[in-house]
Amino acid sequence: MNYSLALRCIMRVSLLIALMFPESAVTAPTASAMAVITAPSFSKAAIPISTLRAIFGMRVQRWPDGTPVKVFVFGDDAPEHVSFCKDVLQVFPHQLRMAWDRLVFAGLGQYPEKVSTASEMLAKVSETPGAVGYVRTSEVNQDVHVLKIQ
Amino acid sequence: MLLMAGWAAEASAVDMMDGKLQLHGFLTQGIVLTSDNNFSGKSDDGPSFDFREVGINASWRPNPDVLVSGQLLSHRVGELDKGNVRLDYAIADWTALSGEWGRGGIRLGRVKHPFGLHNETRDVAFTRPSILLPQSIYFEQARNLEMSSDGAAFYLERYTGLGSFYATYGLGYGQVGDKSVEAAFIGRDFPGSFESNLLQLLNLLWEGDGGRYRLGFTSVWGSMDYDADTGSPMASGKVGFHPVILSAQYNWEQWSLTAEHFLEYIQYQDFGPLKPDGSVVAKSFYVQGTYRPVPRWETFLRYDVFYGNEDDKSGKAFHAATGLPGFMSYSKDWTFGVRYDVTPRFMLRAELHRIEGTGWLSSLENPDPFRLDKRWDMLMLLGSFRF
Repeated sequence: MNYSLALRCIMRVSLLIALMFPESAVTAPTASAMAVITAPSFSKAAIPISTLRAIFGMRVQRWPDGTPVKVFVFGDDAPEHVSFCKDVLQVFPHQLRMAWDRLVFAGLGQYPEKVSTASEMLAKVSETPGAVGYVRTSEVNQDVHVLKIQ
Repeated sequence: MLLMAGWAAEASAVDMMDGKLQLHGFLTQGIVLTSDNNFSGKSDDGPSFDFREVGINASWRPNPDVLVSGQLLSHRVGELDKGNVRLDYAIADWTALSGEWGRGGIRLGRVKHPFGLHNETRDVAFTRPSILLPQSIYFEQARNLEMSSDGAAFYLERYTGLGSFYATYGLGYGQVGDKSVEAAFIGRDFPGSFESNLLQLLNLLWEGDGGRYRLGFTSVWGSMDYDADTGSPMASGKVGFHPVILSAQYNWEQWSLTAEHFLEYIQYQDFGPLKPDGSVVAKSFYVQGTYRPVPRWETFLRYDVFYGNEDDKSGKAFHAATGLPGFMSYSKDWTFGVRYDVTPRFMLRAELHRIEGTGWLSSLENPDPFRLDKRWDMLMLLGSFRF
């Protein structure tokens, strides 16, 4: 088979299959159910989403004031993580996992620290300078600072 | 293997010094069965178990601007790689500039090549899109040349509203001193050896919308010298190579579509009558659709094509010039595969290849070209743990 023909066939078949299984597009950030939180000492009120993606993509290691960044996340399957990825970062959890794995196994980065519960997240973020994480908006307490997305 | 599973589950993630030191690894075992021809061991006579990948790595971040990392790897693929433990990478990474805008820095040591979308973690089953990467681009033969080089890499990243831009420029010496590289370029493991000259690599990657769109460009400029020993029918010569890869990927929640196109300009000089001076352009591409129907399950379909000589796609001229079967100069591979993540740390995979041509098979595993079959099938099974 001529390969351009094969290519066209594959494209057509994939398009056809894609039409057979419509998916909901990633929803735009709603009055978000999730809040990005940092340590209370944190001075910045807002950051661009592109920088936040790079922070949770484990590429940015310093805040603009020089404080080391320390990222906390829930497990890949946790509803909070799925919601944070889709609604706040607007990426799919599998993309974030793949980005971390690529960095770690090429020797170019490290994984974020995993927590299991909202109270653990709040405690760790509040007591670690430069920490960043997320919880449900309803769970935000006095000990953490809420970071807005520009 | 089960013991390893238990141990890996226990070990979960090994973080020390408040997460500044991380230890990770993987163990992969594959089984290969072919209808004809040999790949990754004597796969034609019965299942071959000579497909194994074991790696362990450590990374240490003493301060936010410095990362030191290294990985030991044993990679067994039949006769192509015997699985000797070697240093896969060893990197000192210094981020010199950093801000909301992005970051830039330098990596020194043995650095993996950002060559196409998959090369940097090609031996880690969890990060690959299939058991076997598309062989038209990510050759098992001559893999060490693609893999990494000893030198320096400069990187610059920009995070903008239009997406993230990543640029890497590397300078170094490739790993060419093995017989698989020799067999790939001059046909056999002749007496003598190859040595790499300084090679340069440029990789540009754009990720739009948080990685939903990914477009990449990679190019390498390199050459190596062949130093013939007495008894070699080849004279001492030089091979220049200049691959160019274009990569594209689109990610939906359940779907991913990936395509890469590869052109490699290869120039031979001074090898004597057996390998006349001249140049050839190898051409490859693949298109892969991946579908994740339910969590933990993934399936894909791929068409992967390799032409050893763009001007001789059917291999007629190759046959006329060498007397060898024309189908040795190309490959067309349809692959269907399934992945099941039993747990986040343990994965099973199966895939079926239907192949025409033997363009990416090695003479090290198929010494008699007249016993090669033009059409062949390959079944691969794989289990992989990581921690």
